[in-house]
Amino acid sequence: MDNIKKGLSIFAFFFKIGCFTFGGGWAILAQMEQEFVNKRQIITKDELLEMVAVGKSAPGIMITNISLLFGYHVAGVFGGICAVVGITTPAIIILSIVTLFYNSFKDNYWVHAALTGIRAAVVPIIGSAALSLGKDALKTPPAVVICLTAFCLSLFVGVSNILLVLAGIVGALAWWSVENVKKARAAANKDKKQAEPVAGQQ
Amino acid sequence: MIYIELFLSFVKIGFTSFGGMSMIPLILDEMSSHGWMTAEDLSNLVAIAEMTPGPLGINCATFTGTQTAGFLGGIVAVLGVLTPAFTLTMLIAIFFEKFKESSVMRRIMSVVKPICIAMILSVIVTLSSTTYFVNSVIQPFSIGIAALMLYLLIRRKWSVPVVIISSAMLGVVFYGVLPMVRG
Repeated sequence: MDNIKKGLSIFAFFFKIGCFTFGGGWAILAQMEQEFVNKRQIITKDELLEMVAVGKSAPGIMITNISLLFGYHVAGVFGGICAVVGITTPAIIILSIVTLFYNSFKDNYWVHAALTGIRAAVVPIIGSAALSLGKDALKTPPAVVICLTAFCLSLFVGVSNILLVLAGIVGALAWWSVENVKKARAAANKDKKQAEPVAGQQ
Repeated sequence: MIYIELFLSFVKIGFTSFGGMSMIPLILDEMSSHGWMTAEDLSNLVAIAEMTPGPLGINCATFTGTQTAGFLGGIVAVLGVLTPAFTLTMLIAIFFEKFKESSVMRRIMSVVKPICIAMILSVIVTLSSTTYFVNSVIQPFSIGIAALMLYLLIRRKWSVPVVIISSAMLGVVFYGVLPMVRG
């Protein structure tokens, strides 16, 4: 019962977000941050960034993946489905109408002017989210170095996002293994030192 | 049946693409091999998907499905393109919630999160270059709107929907009324 209630409110949130997601999807980040991190405090900035990282790397559409991860986090499988249906419903309704009136819509002077204004706002919307999320994610020097390297690779070398994330995962696994080997060695050395005097007595 | 064909086509597109513009070539392949759409329809599709809110992939699926087989066609295409989210991403979500506290997962996230910020920054640079410098001409009104909205978002804590609606109105004033008055 509780999950059904939660699911419905998730649907309502994402329906609203879906009506205002312009600019290729990254703007959803800013909206989720305002709505779920700042206002309702359902998730932390860290958790939001984790969802973005996972959602971006999974196949399919990033926005629906992120919505699903959030919905699942809050209210399980049902919550995940509610979030995805919520974010897609406005798009389907609006697109169906626009498709019908496509020809009168596409060359309309006023529509074009309004869209030029909206396009100008997309960068600050995404930028405000990047600023606030970056403050949290870029606290340590290694994080800053990783971010700058990935930024240059993406912008100047044209490395795709998926490849960047995969490289990050491989690098992280290597880092983790080295750490663990070191820990294991340190532990083994400690054991040896403790064990030696005992062996000497015998 | 056209509905089943549409559904299967978009399942394929969903699983092999990663959203956004990366879907366009895949959609073109599927559409032209079935004879559902021409390249010209597709460039219209991109224009429409860009000027309406919502994920590009969902917009593409709705437009293609509706054009090919009416309203029901649109729904079927959307369900197809959502299949990876409902299957694979759902599994990932379950797995992720279970293991996100483990030390491996924490280490992975500590590297992937800064990469994520880098991706966002890179999108910002790319978008800025096409929005504020159209054909290498600086767009002072667009830059002005952007600066104002950045201030309202960060300092005044305006919400995104309000910012979108205000920018649309400013767009009408600066790119609609003003050129008319100037003549």
